[in-house]
Amino acid sequence: MIQFDSVHLKLNNRQIFSGLNFRVREKEKVLIQGKSGIGKTTLFKILLGFEPIDSGTVRFNGLDIVRENIKTIRSQIFYLSQDIDLKNEPVRILLDEINRFNSFKNPDKTHLMDLLDFLELNEKILDQEVKELSGGERQRIGLLICFLLDRPVWLLDEPTSALDDVMKKKMVAYIPARDKTIVIISHDDVWKQNSDLRPDLRPGLRIERWR
Amino acid sequence: MGARDLSILSLVSLAVFLVPVFLINRRLGLGINRTMITSVVRMCVQLSFVGLYLEFLFRFNSPVLNTVYLLIMISIACQSIVRSSRLRVKKIFIPVFLSLAIPFVVILFFFNAVVVRIDNLFEAKYLIPIGGMLLGNCLRSIIVGLNGFYSGIRKDEKVYLYSLSLLGSRIQALMPYFRENFLAAVTPTLASMATIGLVSLPGMMTGQILGGSIPMVAIKYQIAIMFSIFYTEYFSTILSVLFSLKVGFNSLDVLNRDIFTSKT
Repeated sequence: MIQFDSVHLKLNNRQIFSGLNFRVREKEKVLIQGKSGIGKTTLFKILLGFEPIDSGTVRFNGLDIVRENIKTIRSQIFYLSQDIDLKNEPVRILLDEINRFNSFKNPDKTHLMDLLDFLELNEKILDQEVKELSGGERQRIGLLICFLLDRPVWLLDEPTSALDDVMKKKMVAYIPARDKTIVIISHDDVWKQNSDLRPDLRPGLRIERWR
Repeated sequence: MGARDLSILSLVSLAVFLVPVFLINRRLGLGINRTMITSVVRMCVQLSFVGLYLEFLFRFNSPVLNTVYLLIMISIACQSIVRSSRLRVKKIFIPVFLSLAIPFVVILFFFNAVVVRIDNLFEAKYLIPIGGMLLGNCLRSIIVGLNGFYSGIRKDEKVYLYSLSLLGSRIQALMPYFRENFLAAVTPTLASMATIGLVSLPGMMTGQILGGSIPMVAIKYQIAIMFSIFYTEYFSTILSVLFSLKVGFNSLDVLNRDIFTSKT
């Protein structure tokens, strides 16, 4: 599904990747750890076409990251950025807009209410602007969009950093059980405690896979 | 009949008031005396040259010369737009030139052919002053629209990229930045249309009345020119954003930072 072959990339005069090979099969769940600044987020940005590479090949579902494919590629990936960089608008308007251009799998109001409930968010949050939300609320709105869009591939950058312990545990149990291809970047120990992880060590990047 | 000619001496007499302004500036420590003198001198020199050109253009009234003059005017306007937008001339000149030239030419010739119904469409007396008014107004609106658009996305790049990943379409992700800055670009003209005549008499009308036109004629021209200004502004601002997208973004819709002149 995701394929990096001998990828080289230099950013601001710093060699980030020199010959990185990295693969994720369909429906696989992968956890990436490692110190900050070693290019974890950059992996995601490359896949989304936000960061060009110097050499090597990157393929998504067999497709090169080029103009002709980029729309298809982006429409299959849900990306949760570290700061959840949503536009500052009321949440309801954001959801409407996202729905208009993607159409949620299940646009039912009850489905939305169930998800809000599951994420322990009050319905009133839909009328708040993104700027008014706390970090934890923003993160949960990001996850809400992820669940609503239901795209086949999830790239989650620190998805639990701002959540409380109960919610963290809930997500660690819920997310890897989805029938999706999922790559998670996280420093959070709760993910490591998940016993199904198979370590896949590489210098710098620590990648673990769910069995 | 026309306005009375002004002698050089009477123009110079206006400079008398610069003396108290100069002294007050100094007293208040405003530090604008040098700028003021430069501006005054530039105004006088530039306008004198324009006077000479215009005499020359009006005397020959040659379609080719008039067209060349218009092209030069558009190029200078373009240069000034790109500079003020802090974008690289080399990258963005051609898209801006086209976005200015296309609506400008269409509206200008419509004005001459359909509205004023002059026989010679290239008549210098109409072509050049009307063209100048249209260009002068477009200058401001394109600067506001284009500069706001690119600097807005630059400042907000993460948010832009994130909407790109959520919405999938570049046009949709760009729309809020376009909308906001386009409104800022065209609203002033709409506002001035709404108050025109109540507060100030526009320069063109004043000029026509002094030049001997009856007020009703001057007003009709003013209405026609306001329409034309609005249309030219409207379309050239939209086109400037549209035509610049190809150089402004790479093939994967990411902002090209090398279109900006400054690093931050």
